[in-house]
Amino acid sequence: MKKRLLMFLFVALASLIGQRAYAQVIVIANPSVKATAVSKAELSDVFTGSATTLKDGSRAVPILLKAGTVHEEFLQAYIGRSDSAYRAGWRSLVFSGQGAMPKSVDGDAAVVEFVAHNAGAIGYIGKGTPHEGVKVLAVK
Amino acid sequence: MRKLLTAAMMLALGVASASAQSLEDLNVQIHGYATQGFLYTTQNNIFTTTSSNGSPSWSEAVVNVAAQPTPKLRIAVQARYSLLGNFGNAITLDWAAADYKVNDKLGVRFGKVKIPSGLFNEIQDIDPSYLWALLPQSVYPLTSRNSFLSQYGGLVYGTLALPQKLGKLEYRGWSGEHALNADDGALLNLRESGTNQPDGIKGVATGGAIHWKTPIQGLMVGASDIRSNTQIIPSTLNFGAFTGTETVHPYNTPDYFAKYERGRILLAYEYARNQLNGMIVVPQFPFPVHFRFDERQQYAMASYKVTDKLSAGSYFSYYFNQHERNLSPNFQKDYTVAGRYDFNPFLYAKVEQHFINGTALSYDTGLNPGLKPNSKLTVLKIGVSF
Repeated sequence: MKKRLLMFLFVALASLIGQRAYAQVIVIANPSVKATAVSKAELSDVFTGSATTLKDGSRAVPILLKAGTVHEEFLQAYIGRSDSAYRAGWRSLVFSGQGAMPKSVDGDAAVVEFVAHNAGAIGYIGKGTPHEGVKVLAVK
Repeated sequence: MRKLLTAAMMLALGVASASAQSLEDLNVQIHGYATQGFLYTTQNNIFTTTSSNGSPSWSEAVVNVAAQPTPKLRIAVQARYSLLGNFGNAITLDWAAADYKVNDKLGVRFGKVKIPSGLFNEIQDIDPSYLWALLPQSVYPLTSRNSFLSQYGGLVYGTLALPQKLGKLEYRGWSGEHALNADDGALLNLRESGTNQPDGIKGVATGGAIHWKTPIQGLMVGASDIRSNTQIIPSTLNFGAFTGTETVHPYNTPDYFAKYERGRILLAYEYARNQLNGMIVVPQFPFPVHFRFDERQQYAMASYKVTDKLSAGSYFSYYFNQHERNLSPNFQKDYTVAGRYDFNPFLYAKVEQHFINGTALSYDTGLNPGLKPNSKLTVLKIGVSF
Protein backbone atom coordinates (compact mmCIF):
# COMPACT_ATOMS: atom_id res chain seq x y z
CA MET A 1 0.00 0.00 0.00
CA LYS A 2 2.78 2.34 1.00
CA LYS A 3 4.65 1.53 -2.22
CA ARG A 4 1.54 2.22 -4.29
CA LEU A 5 1.01 5.55 -2.56
CA LEU A 6 4.61 6.53 -3.17
CA MET A 7 4.30 5.47 -6.80
CA PHE A 8 1.12 7.53 -7.18
CA LEU A 9 2.77 10.58 -5.63
CA PHE A 10 5.80 10.14 -7.91
CA VAL A 11 3.65 9.92 -11.06
CA ALA A 12 1.52 12.89 -9.96
CA LEU A 13 4.63 14.97 -9.23
CA ALA A 14 6.24 13.98 -12.54
CA SER A 15 3.14 14.95 -14.51
CA LEU A 16 2.89 18.26 -12.63
CA ILE A 17 6.54 19.02 -13.42
CA GLY A 18 5.89 18.13 -17.04
CA GLN A 19 2.87 20.40 -17.28
CA ARG A 20 4.72 23.19 -15.55
CA ALA A 21 7.56 22.96 -18.05
CA TYR A 22 5.23 23.07 -21.05
CA ALA A 23 3.26 25.90 -19.46
CA GLN A 24 6.37 28.10 -19.63
CA VAL A 25 6.10 28.31 -23.44
CA ILE A 26 3.33 30.00 -25.38
CA VAL A 27 2.74 29.84 -29.12
CA ILE A 28 2.13 33.15 -30.86
CA ALA A 29 1.00 34.04 -34.37
CA ASN A 30 0.60 37.03 -36.63
CA PRO A 31 -2.98 38.39 -36.49
CA SER A 32 -3.40 37.30 -40.17
CA VAL A 33 -3.58 33.69 -38.96
CA LYS A 34 -7.29 32.92 -38.73
CA ALA A 35 -7.06 30.10 -36.19
CA THR A 36 -7.25 30.76 -32.47
CA ALA A 37 -6.11 27.23 -31.62
CA VAL A 38 -3.94 24.61 -33.31
CA SER A 39 -3.36 20.95 -32.67
CA LYS A 40 0.01 19.58 -31.61
CA ALA A 41 0.15 17.66 -34.92
CA GLU A 42 -0.41 20.87 -36.93
CA LEU A 43 2.36 22.64 -35.03
CA SER A 44 4.69 19.70 -35.58
CA ASP A 45 3.93 19.63 -39.32
CA VAL A 46 4.58 23.36 -39.70
CA PHE A 47 7.79 23.37 -37.65
CA THR A 48 9.22 20.25 -39.35
CA GLY A 49 8.51 21.47 -42.89
CA SER A 50 5.74 18.96 -43.63
CA ALA A 51 3.11 21.68 -44.06
CA THR A 52 3.03 25.34 -44.99
CA THR A 53 -0.61 25.92 -44.04
CA LEU A 54 -2.81 25.24 -41.03
CA LYS A 55 -6.01 23.21 -41.32
CA ASP A 56 -8.08 26.39 -41.72
CA GLY A 57 -6.01 27.33 -44.78
CA SER A 58 -3.94 30.05 -43.11
CA ARG A 59 -0.37 30.30 -44.38
CA ALA A 60 2.09 29.40 -41.62
CA VAL A 61 5.71 30.59 -41.51
CA PRO A 62 7.65 29.19 -38.55
CA ILE A 63 10.33 31.16 -36.74
CA LEU A 64 12.81 29.58 -34.33
CA LEU A 65 14.84 30.65 -31.34
CA LYS A 66 18.52 29.83 -31.85
CA ALA A 67 18.90 28.17 -28.43
CA GLY A 68 17.83 28.36 -24.81
CA THR A 69 15.38 26.83 -22.37
CA VAL A 70 12.26 28.05 -24.14
CA HIS A 71 13.53 26.58 -27.43
CA GLU A 72 14.34 23.21 -25.82
CA GLU A 73 10.99 23.10 -24.03
CA PHE A 74 9.07 23.92 -27.20
CA LEU A 75 10.84 21.16 -29.16
CA GLN A 76 10.30 18.58 -26.42
CA ALA A 77 6.66 19.51 -25.81
CA TYR A 78 5.38 19.98 -29.35
CA ILE A 79 7.85 18.38 -31.77
CA GLY A 80 9.11 15.54 -29.57
CA ARG A 81 12.75 15.95 -30.59
CA SER A 82 15.98 17.26 -29.16
CA ASP A 83 17.59 20.29 -30.79
CA SER A 84 20.22 18.18 -32.59
CA ALA A 85 17.59 15.74 -33.95
CA TYR A 86 15.36 18.62 -34.98
CA ARG A 87 18.15 20.38 -36.86
CA ALA A 88 19.22 17.08 -38.47
CA GLY A 89 15.67 16.76 -39.83
CA TRP A 90 15.85 20.22 -41.37
CA ARG A 91 19.28 19.53 -42.82
CA SER A 92 17.77 16.56 -44.66
CA LEU A 93 15.27 18.90 -46.27
CA VAL A 94 17.78 21.66 -47.04
CA PHE A 95 20.50 19.44 -48.54
CA SER A 96 18.02 17.41 -50.60
CA GLY A 97 16.32 20.49 -52.02
CA GLN A 98 13.01 19.94 -50.25
CA GLY A 99 12.96 23.02 -48.06
CA ALA A 100 14.63 26.09 -46.62
CA MET A 101 15.60 26.31 -42.96
CA PRO A 102 13.23 28.53 -40.93
CA LYS A 103 14.61 31.86 -39.78
CA SER A 104 16.28 31.71 -36.34
CA VAL A 105 16.58 34.68 -33.99
CA ASP A 106 18.37 35.34 -30.73
CA GLY A 107 15.65 36.10 -28.17
CA ASP A 108 11.95 36.18 -27.36
CA ALA A 109 11.67 39.89 -28.21
CA ALA A 110 13.02 39.22 -31.72
CA VAL A 111 10.46 36.44 -32.17
CA VAL A 112 7.61 38.79 -31.17
CA GLU A 113 8.98 41.46 -33.51
CA PHE A 114 9.15 39.04 -36.47
CA VAL A 115 5.75 37.47 -35.81
CA ALA A 116 4.06 40.85 -35.42
CA HIS A 117 5.35 42.12 -38.77
CA ASN A 118 5.15 39.05 -41.04
CA ALA A 119 1.89 37.62 -42.34
CA GLY A 120 1.45 33.97 -41.36
CA ALA A 121 4.36 33.94 -38.93
CA ILE A 122 4.16 31.52 -36.00
CA GLY A 123 6.65 31.41 -33.14
CA TYR A 124 7.06 30.56 -29.49
CA ILE A 125 8.19 32.60 -26.49
CA GLY A 126 8.44 32.40 -22.73
CA LYS A 127 5.14 32.98 -20.97
CA GLY A 128 6.30 36.17 -19.26
CA THR A 129 7.50 37.88 -22.44
CA PRO A 130 5.47 40.95 -23.50
CA HIS A 131 3.72 40.14 -26.78
CA GLU A 132 1.81 43.11 -28.10
CA GLY A 133 0.79 42.98 -31.75
CA VAL A 134 0.55 39.18 -31.91
CA LYS A 135 -2.13 36.66 -30.99
CA VAL A 136 -1.65 33.71 -28.65
CA LEU A 137 -2.63 30.33 -30.10
CA ALA A 138 -4.03 27.69 -27.79
CA VAL A 139 -2.50 24.26 -28.42
CA LYS A 140 -5.12 21.49 -28.27
CA MET B 1 17.17 18.86 -72.58
CA ARG B 2 19.91 19.84 -70.15
CA LYS B 3 20.52 23.10 -72.06
CA LEU B 4 16.80 23.89 -71.98
CA LEU B 5 16.63 23.29 -68.25
CA THR B 6 19.75 25.36 -67.61
CA ALA B 7 18.23 28.22 -69.60
CA ALA B 8 14.98 27.93 -67.66
CA MET B 9 16.90 27.96 -64.36
CA MET B 10 18.84 31.06 -65.42
CA LEU B 11 15.58 32.74 -66.42
CA ALA B 12 13.99 31.89 -63.07
CA LEU B 13 17.03 33.23 -61.22
CA GLY B 14 16.98 36.36 -63.36
CA VAL B 15 13.30 37.02 -62.71
CA ALA B 16 13.83 36.42 -59.00
CA SER B 17 16.77 38.83 -58.91
CA ALA B 18 15.00 41.49 -60.94
CA SER B 19 11.90 41.45 -58.78
CA ALA B 20 13.79 41.48 -55.51
CA GLN B 21 14.85 44.59 -53.67
CA SER B 22 17.79 43.14 -51.77
CA LEU B 23 19.41 39.95 -50.50
CA GLU B 24 17.16 40.22 -47.45
CA ASP B 25 14.10 40.08 -49.74
CA LEU B 26 15.54 37.05 -51.51
CA ASN B 27 15.88 35.20 -48.19
CA VAL B 28 19.29 33.89 -49.22
CA GLN B 29 20.63 31.04 -47.11
CA ILE B 30 24.02 29.35 -47.27
CA HIS B 31 24.54 25.97 -45.64
CA GLY B 32 27.19 23.30 -45.86
CA TYR B 33 28.82 20.32 -44.29
CA ALA B 34 32.05 18.39 -44.45
CA THR B 35 32.93 14.85 -43.36
CA GLN B 36 36.09 12.80 -42.99
CA GLY B 37 35.95 9.04 -42.76
CA PHE B 38 38.40 6.30 -41.87
CA LEU B 39 37.99 2.71 -43.11
CA TYR B 40 39.64 -0.43 -41.80
CA THR B 41 38.95 -3.96 -43.05
CA THR B 42 40.34 -7.23 -41.72
CA GLN B 43 40.15 -8.80 -45.21
CA ASN B 44 39.81 -7.35 -48.72
CA ASN B 45 39.98 -3.68 -49.72
CA ILE B 46 36.62 -1.99 -49.80
CA PHE B 47 35.29 0.97 -51.86
CA THR B 48 38.53 1.07 -53.94
CA THR B 49 40.52 2.17 -50.90
CA THR B 50 43.46 0.34 -49.32
CA SER B 51 41.31 -0.25 -46.26
CA SER B 52 43.11 -3.42 -45.16
CA ASN B 53 45.94 -1.08 -44.10
CA GLY B 54 43.48 1.51 -42.75
CA SER B 55 42.46 4.26 -45.14
CA PRO B 56 41.41 7.89 -44.58
CA SER B 57 40.53 8.19 -48.26
CA TRP B 58 36.91 9.20 -47.73
CA SER B 59 36.13 12.93 -47.63
CA GLU B 60 33.17 15.07 -48.60
CA ALA B 61 32.35 18.76 -48.55
CA VAL B 62 29.04 20.28 -49.65
CA VAL B 63 27.90 23.86 -50.11
CA ASN B 64 24.27 24.79 -50.59
CA VAL B 65 22.98 28.22 -51.64
CA ALA B 66 19.24 28.86 -51.68
CA ALA B 67 17.00 31.84 -52.27
CA GLN B 68 13.30 32.22 -51.63
CA PRO B 69 12.16 35.38 -53.42
CA THR B 70 8.47 34.63 -52.78
CA PRO B 71 6.80 32.32 -50.23
CA LYS B 72 5.99 29.81 -52.97
CA LEU B 73 9.17 29.95 -55.08
CA ARG B 74 12.51 28.57 -53.95
CA ILE B 75 15.68 28.34 -56.03
CA ALA B 76 18.70 26.43 -54.82
CA VAL B 77 21.96 24.93 -56.00
CA GLN B 78 24.30 22.47 -54.29
CA ALA B 79 27.91 21.64 -55.13
CA ARG B 80 29.93 18.75 -53.74
CA TYR B 81 33.55 17.77 -53.44
CA SER B 82 33.90 14.06 -52.81
CA LEU B 83 36.72 11.58 -52.58
CA LEU B 84 36.36 7.87 -51.97
CA GLY B 85 39.34 5.72 -52.90
CA ASN B 86 39.61 5.92 -56.69
CA PHE B 87 36.27 7.69 -57.00
CA GLY B 88 35.63 11.39 -57.23
CA ASN B 89 38.33 13.83 -56.15
CA ALA B 90 36.36 16.45 -58.04
CA ILE B 91 33.77 19.13 -57.52
CA THR B 92 30.41 18.24 -59.05
CA LEU B 93 26.92 19.71 -59.26
CA ASP B 94 24.76 17.74 -56.81
CA TRP B 95 21.54 19.34 -57.90
CA ALA B 96 20.16 22.72 -58.93
CA ALA B 97 16.44 23.28 -58.94
CA ALA B 98 13.60 25.75 -58.89
CA ASP B 99 10.71 24.71 -56.68
CA TYR B 100 7.22 26.19 -56.87
CA LYS B 101 4.86 25.04 -54.16
CA VAL B 102 1.28 25.99 -55.02
CA ASN B 103 0.06 24.63 -51.70
CA ASP B 104 0.65 21.56 -49.53
CA LYS B 105 -1.27 19.44 -52.06
CA LEU B 106 0.77 20.40 -55.13
CA GLY B 107 4.32 21.48 -55.80
CA VAL B 108 6.60 21.26 -58.83
CA ARG B 109 10.38 21.19 -59.04
CA PHE B 110 12.57 21.26 -62.12
CA GLY B 111 16.25 21.42 -63.00
CA LYS B 112 18.70 18.80 -61.80
CA VAL B 113 16.51 17.26 -59.12
CA LYS B 114 17.05 14.59 -56.49
CA ILE B 115 15.25 11.31 -57.18
CA PRO B 116 12.83 10.59 -54.32
CA SER B 117 12.67 6.81 -54.66
CA GLY B 118 12.80 4.36 -51.78
CA LEU B 119 13.05 5.26 -48.13
CA PHE B 120 16.37 7.11 -48.04
CA ASN B 121 17.37 7.82 -51.66
CA GLU B 122 16.75 11.57 -51.45
CA ILE B 123 19.06 11.85 -48.43
CA GLN B 124 21.41 8.92 -48.97
CA ASP B 125 24.37 11.25 -49.60
CA ILE B 126 23.51 13.66 -46.75
CA ASP B 127 25.61 12.35 -43.92
CA PRO B 128 24.54 14.78 -41.15
CA SER B 129 20.92 13.67 -41.42
CA TYR B 130 21.22 10.09 -40.14
CA LEU B 131 22.88 7.89 -37.56
CA TRP B 132 24.76 5.54 -39.87
CA ALA B 133 28.20 6.09 -41.38
CA LEU B 134 27.11 3.76 -44.18
CA LEU B 135 23.49 3.20 -45.12
CA PRO B 136 22.68 -0.48 -45.89
CA GLN B 137 24.82 -1.23 -48.93
CA SER B 138 22.33 -3.72 -50.37
CA VAL B 139 19.96 -0.87 -51.32
CA TYR B 140 22.24 2.19 -51.14
CA PRO B 141 25.64 1.13 -52.53
CA LEU B 142 28.15 3.89 -51.86
CA THR B 143 30.28 3.31 -54.95
CA SER B 144 27.45 3.56 -57.45
CA ARG B 145 25.10 5.99 -55.72
CA ASN B 146 25.59 8.61 -58.45
CA SER B 147 23.44 6.36 -60.62
CA PHE B 148 20.44 6.97 -58.41
CA LEU B 149 20.86 10.39 -56.83
CA SER B 150 19.57 12.96 -59.29
CA GLN B 151 18.57 13.59 -62.89
CA TYR B 152 17.77 16.44 -65.26
CA GLY B 153 14.01 16.85 -65.42
CA GLY B 154 11.16 17.61 -63.10
CA LEU B 155 8.96 16.25 -60.39
CA VAL B 156 5.54 16.93 -58.90
CA TYR B 157 4.83 16.34 -55.24
CA GLY B 158 2.26 16.97 -52.56
CA THR B 159 0.45 15.72 -49.50
CA LEU B 160 -3.20 14.69 -49.50
CA ALA B 161 -5.31 14.29 -46.36
CA LEU B 162 -7.24 11.03 -46.45
CA PRO B 163 -10.86 10.80 -45.32
CA GLN B 164 -12.10 9.16 -42.13
CA LYS B 165 -8.88 9.80 -40.21
CA LEU B 166 -6.97 7.41 -42.47
CA GLY B 167 -3.87 9.53 -42.24
CA LYS B 168 -2.04 11.33 -45.05
CA LEU B 169 -0.72 10.34 -48.43
CA GLU B 170 2.44 11.94 -49.79
CA TYR B 171 2.98 11.46 -53.51
CA ARG B 172 5.84 12.15 -55.90
CA GLY B 173 6.14 11.65 -59.62
CA TRP B 174 9.20 12.42 -61.72
CA SER B 175 10.71 12.07 -65.16
CA GLY B 176 13.91 13.17 -66.81
CA GLU B 177 17.23 12.38 -68.33
CA HIS B 178 19.49 10.18 -66.36
CA ALA B 179 23.16 10.65 -67.26
CA LEU B 180 26.47 9.30 -66.01
CA ASN B 181 29.79 10.52 -67.37
CA ALA B 182 32.32 7.98 -68.60
CA ASP B 183 34.58 8.71 -65.62
CA ASP B 184 31.83 8.26 -63.05
CA GLY B 185 32.76 5.87 -60.26
CA ALA B 186 29.66 3.80 -60.95
CA LEU B 187 31.29 2.57 -64.15
CA LEU B 188 34.60 1.59 -62.55
CA ASN B 189 33.67 -2.03 -61.90
CA LEU B 190 32.40 -2.39 -65.46
CA ARG B 191 35.64 -0.92 -66.82
CA GLU B 192 37.70 -3.37 -64.78
CA SER B 193 35.64 -6.27 -66.13
CA GLY B 194 36.32 -5.13 -69.71
CA THR B 195 33.24 -3.03 -70.46
CA ASN B 196 34.08 0.49 -71.62
CA GLN B 197 31.49 3.18 -72.13
CA PRO B 198 33.53 6.10 -73.49
CA ASP B 199 30.51 8.42 -73.64
CA GLY B 200 28.97 7.18 -70.42
CA ILE B 201 25.38 6.14 -69.95
CA LYS B 202 22.22 8.11 -70.46
CA GLY B 203 18.53 7.53 -70.83
CA VAL B 204 15.07 8.51 -69.70
CA ALA B 205 13.86 7.47 -66.26
CA THR B 206 10.31 7.97 -65.02
CA GLY B 207 9.13 7.11 -61.54
CA GLY B 208 6.59 7.55 -58.81
CA ALA B 209 6.44 7.13 -55.05
CA ILE B 210 3.77 7.17 -52.37
CA HIS B 211 4.29 7.46 -48.63
CA TRP B 212 1.23 6.63 -46.56
CA LYS B 213 1.43 8.21 -43.11
CA THR B 214 -0.94 5.84 -41.40
CA PRO B 215 -3.29 6.68 -38.49
CA ILE B 216 -0.87 4.79 -36.25
CA GLN B 217 1.30 7.63 -35.01
CA GLY B 218 4.83 7.36 -36.39
CA LEU B 219 4.13 4.57 -38.88
CA MET B 220 4.72 5.23 -42.59
CA VAL B 221 4.34 2.63 -45.33
CA GLY B 222 5.40 3.32 -48.89
CA ALA B 223 6.35 2.13 -52.33
CA SER B 224 8.15 3.49 -55.36
CA ASP B 225 9.00 2.36 -58.86
CA ILE B 226 11.26 3.63 -61.64
CA ARG B 227 11.03 2.77 -65.31
CA SER B 228 14.46 3.19 -66.86
CA ASN B 229 15.21 3.26 -70.55
CA THR B 230 18.98 3.34 -70.62
CA GLN B 231 21.09 3.94 -73.67
CA ILE B 232 24.79 3.20 -73.75
CA ILE B 233 26.16 5.21 -76.65
CA PRO B 234 28.40 4.07 -78.19
CA SER B 235 28.29 0.70 -76.51
CA THR B 236 31.74 -0.74 -76.58
CA LEU B 237 32.86 -3.88 -74.85
CA ASN B 238 36.26 -5.40 -74.94
CA PHE B 239 36.54 -9.17 -74.92
CA GLY B 240 40.24 -9.64 -75.32
CA ALA B 241 40.88 -8.70 -78.96
CA PHE B 242 37.16 -8.37 -79.80
CA THR B 243 34.90 -5.34 -79.55
CA GLY B 244 31.13 -5.47 -79.35
CA THR B 245 28.03 -3.52 -78.43
CA GLU B 246 25.69 -3.80 -75.46
CA THR B 247 21.96 -3.14 -75.29
CA VAL B 248 19.99 -2.92 -72.04
CA HIS B 249 16.23 -3.37 -72.32
CA PRO B 250 13.93 -0.97 -70.44
CA TYR B 251 13.50 -2.16 -66.86
CA ASN B 252 11.70 -1.40 -63.60
CA THR B 253 13.04 -0.99 -60.07
CA PRO B 254 10.17 -1.54 -57.62
CA ASP B 255 10.81 -0.68 -53.98
CA TYR B 256 8.67 -1.28 -50.87
CA PHE B 257 9.38 0.17 -47.45
CA ALA B 258 8.04 0.94 -43.99
CA LYS B 259 9.27 3.14 -41.18
CA TYR B 260 8.13 3.51 -37.59
CA GLU B 261 9.54 6.53 -35.80
CA ARG B 262 8.25 7.57 -32.43
CA GLY B 263 10.01 9.16 -29.51
CA ARG B 264 13.47 7.71 -29.27
CA ILE B 265 12.84 4.68 -31.47
CA LEU B 266 13.22 4.19 -35.23
CA LEU B 267 12.45 0.93 -37.01
CA ALA B 268 12.67 0.54 -40.79
CA TYR B 269 12.49 -2.11 -43.48
CA GLU B 270 13.05 -1.83 -47.23
CA TYR B 271 12.95 -4.29 -50.10
CA ALA B 272 13.91 -3.45 -53.68
CA ARG B 273 14.29 -5.48 -56.84
CA ASN B 274 16.31 -4.67 -59.91
CA GLN B 275 15.55 -6.96 -62.82
CA LEU B 276 17.55 -6.22 -65.91
CA ASN B 277 17.91 -7.94 -69.27
CA GLY B 278 20.24 -7.16 -72.10
CA MET B 279 22.21 -8.37 -75.06
CA ILE B 280 25.83 -8.19 -76.16
CA VAL B 281 26.64 -8.40 -79.84
CA VAL B 282 30.21 -9.10 -80.96
CA PRO B 283 30.51 -9.32 -84.78
CA GLN B 284 33.06 -12.12 -84.57
CA PHE B 285 30.71 -14.24 -82.41
CA PRO B 286 28.16 -16.44 -84.24
CA PHE B 287 25.24 -15.34 -82.04
CA PRO B 288 24.47 -12.57 -79.50
CA VAL B 289 25.11 -13.13 -75.79
CA HIS B 290 22.05 -12.51 -73.60
CA PHE B 291 22.48 -11.54 -69.96
CA ARG B 292 20.09 -11.13 -67.06
CA PHE B 293 20.35 -9.73 -63.54
CA ASP B 294 17.71 -10.21 -60.91
CA GLU B 295 18.98 -8.35 -57.87
CA ARG B 296 17.06 -8.55 -54.59
CA GLN B 297 18.02 -5.96 -52.02
CA GLN B 298 16.70 -5.60 -48.49
CA TYR B 299 17.50 -4.52 -44.96
CA ALA B 300 15.92 -4.15 -41.54
CA MET B 301 17.17 -1.54 -39.10
CA ALA B 302 16.52 -0.31 -35.58
CA SER B 303 17.93 2.64 -33.71
CA TYR B 304 17.47 4.22 -30.31
CA LYS B 305 18.27 7.71 -29.07
CA VAL B 306 20.01 6.94 -25.80
CA THR B 307 20.39 10.60 -24.81
CA ASP B 308 19.89 13.89 -26.66
CA LYS B 309 23.47 13.56 -27.92
CA LEU B 310 24.00 9.82 -28.23
CA SER B 311 22.24 7.44 -30.67
CA ALA B 312 22.87 3.77 -31.28
CA GLY B 313 21.51 1.27 -33.78
CA SER B 314 21.89 -1.90 -35.74
CA TYR B 315 20.86 -3.25 -39.13
CA PHE B 316 20.99 -6.37 -41.22
CA SER B 317 21.47 -5.81 -44.94
CA TYR B 318 21.14 -8.56 -47.53
CA TYR B 319 21.80 -8.46 -51.27
CA PHE B 320 21.71 -11.31 -53.73
CA ASN B 321 21.47 -11.89 -57.43
CA GLN B 322 18.77 -14.51 -57.90
CA HIS B 323 20.92 -16.34 -60.40
CA GLU B 324 23.37 -18.56 -58.56
CA ARG B 325 22.49 -16.78 -55.32
CA ASN B 326 24.60 -19.07 -53.13
CA LEU B 327 27.88 -18.21 -54.82
CA SER B 328 29.89 -15.74 -52.71
CA PRO B 329 30.25 -13.14 -55.53
CA ASN B 330 26.47 -13.14 -55.99
CA PHE B 331 25.40 -12.29 -52.45
CA GLN B 332 26.40 -10.15 -49.51
CA LYS B 333 25.16 -10.10 -45.92
CA ASP B 334 26.12 -7.29 -43.61
CA TYR B 335 25.46 -7.25 -39.85
CA THR B 336 26.10 -3.76 -38.51
CA VAL B 337 26.17 -1.95 -35.17
CA ALA B 338 26.59 1.82 -35.06
CA GLY B 339 26.75 4.83 -32.78
CA ARG B 340 26.63 8.58 -33.26
CA TYR B 341 27.50 11.34 -30.82
CA ASP B 342 26.51 14.96 -31.41
CA PHE B 343 28.94 17.19 -29.52
CA ASN B 344 26.76 20.20 -30.34
CA PRO B 345 24.31 21.12 -33.15
CA PHE B 346 27.22 21.46 -35.59
CA LEU B 347 29.79 18.75 -34.79
CA TYR B 348 29.28 14.99 -34.63
CA ALA B 349 31.18 11.71 -34.74
CA LYS B 350 30.15 8.22 -35.87
CA VAL B 351 31.57 4.78 -35.23
CA GLU B 352 30.37 1.64 -36.96
CA GLN B 353 31.29 -2.05 -37.08
CA HIS B 354 30.29 -4.28 -40.02
CA PHE B 355 30.45 -8.05 -40.19
CA ILE B 356 30.36 -8.83 -43.92
CA ASN B 357 29.74 -12.20 -45.48
CA GLY B 358 29.88 -12.43 -49.28
CA THR B 359 31.59 -10.30 -51.90
CA ALA B 360 28.87 -9.08 -54.26
CA LEU B 361 29.26 -5.38 -53.42
CA SER B 362 31.93 -2.76 -52.89
CA TYR B 363 35.04 -4.69 -53.97
CA ASP B 364 36.92 -3.95 -57.18
CA THR B 365 39.11 -6.55 -58.81
CA GLY B 366 42.19 -4.34 -59.20
CA LEU B 367 42.78 -3.94 -55.46
CA ASN B 368 41.54 -7.41 -54.53
CA PRO B 369 43.33 -10.11 -56.52
CA GLY B 370 42.11 -12.81 -54.10
CA LEU B 371 38.81 -11.86 -52.51
CA LYS B 372 38.09 -13.55 -49.18
CA PRO B 373 34.47 -14.53 -48.49
CA ASN B 374 34.28 -12.78 -45.09
CA SER B 375 35.53 -9.48 -43.78
CA LYS B 376 35.03 -7.09 -40.89
CA LEU B 377 34.83 -3.39 -41.60
CA THR B 378 35.32 -0.63 -39.00
CA VAL B 379 34.26 2.89 -39.93
CA LEU B 380 35.05 6.08 -38.05
CA LYS B 381 33.65 9.35 -39.25
CA ILE B 382 33.57 12.93 -38.10
CA GLY B 383 31.39 15.64 -39.55
CA VAL B 384 30.65 19.31 -39.23
CA SER B 385 27.63 21.14 -40.64
CA PHE B 386 26.17 24.63 -40.57
